[in-house]
Amino acid sequence: MYYVAKVNSDMCAEYKCNTCTLYCPEANTLMFNKDGNTSWVDEDRCKGCALCVYVCTDMLDRNCITMEMAGHEE
Amino acid sequence: MSLAYITPSERFKKYLPKDYVELIDFGPFGKSQEEAGPGNMGQFKELMEEHPMCSGCWMAYYIRLIFASLPCPEETVTIGTAGCGRLAISQAAVPFIYGNYGDQNAMASGLTRAFRLRFPDKTKDVITIAGDGGTMDIGFSMTMHSWIRGERFTTIMLDNEVYGNTGGQSSGMSPKGAVLKMAPMGKDFEKMPATDLAKAAGCVYIVRMSPTNIKAAAKVIRRAIFVAREVGPTFIHAYTSCNIEYSIPTEDVFADAIELGKGRFKFDEYMTDEAKIVIERVEGEEKIARKARKAAKAEAVN
Repeated sequence: MYYVAKVNSDMCAEYKCNTCTLYCPEANTLMFNKDGNTSWVDEDRCKGCALCVYVCTDMLDRNCITMEMAGHEE
Repeated sequence: MSLAYITPSERFKKYLPKDYVELIDFGPFGKSQEEAGPGNMGQFKELMEEHPMCSGCWMAYYIRLIFASLPCPEETVTIGTAGCGRLAISQAAVPFIYGNYGDQNAMASGLTRAFRLRFPDKTKDVITIAGDGGTMDIGFSMTMHSWIRGERFTTIMLDNEVYGNTGGQSSGMSPKGAVLKMAPMGKDFEKMPATDLAKAAGCVYIVRMSPTNIKAAAKVIRRAIFVAREVGPTFIHAYTSCNIEYSIPTEDVFADAIELGKGRFKFDEYMTDEAKIVIERVEGEEKIARKARKAAKAEAVN
């Protein structure tokens, strides 16, 4: 049981922004999809540090990324 | 290595590991910084792979940034030593040499000289990436002597101000009064003035910074490499916090880096006149190349 970052792609696509992908300490984990104009997370690689949440929420005030339980489906 | 050496033939590709083929097709080898650089990390296959460093490690982020901003990754060799950093540096698709503790700058001295003899018509970059213990404590003599001899390579110090890998002993770079797990009474002595030592030893390009601004940090790394190719030793002193030993919650790591960037890691750039000439020349050439690429792109669209 651990948390991973999850990007709300509908909200993320509204902004022209890939700032969170620049600040992830893991390589090839928080990726940017140019066609959909949205970031996405490779959940198998995410270590759940929530640095991207700080970037998206505290720095940019966009609130597109949340921490959720890995593999948890509603 | 060189680009011709690592590129497989088309027919052989299907037998190679998928990761390797992806690295050749979508990686930064032979591409410019606009196509695959720090500005668009997350849109290409990165040189660094999954690493065993802690969650939210600022050092891992900085190493990722170093590899993204290398001017010529296929002609680069990194040298490291014991410490946290090598866990991530050794996971990259760039040749990595791992020596005894602290001898990274001595090895790099020999390697740069050998490269210049063996490949006189090529530009090979040698970069030593080591922690504060490897550079300023145990490897201190070898670091200083490589600078005094004027060896032409880049030294990057990942300063986390503690021996994070062995349980939290205070290092020469810990600030005075720092209370750590193995220094419970607080450190008695001042932090070593690394950038002043580098200046005294003859480094031609010295930067102290907390890498929070991606563009500035990448520019510094590239400048250090370009200057080291031609003029002399270059040194980057970067703050890469240890969120475990300094008990920083992972989501506050960035805020901590910004705060220290205003404090004892305030951006400080020193360069000699020769270094300045090289930097201005190379950056001017890059600007012209960028404009030419832009014009070619616009023409292709029309």
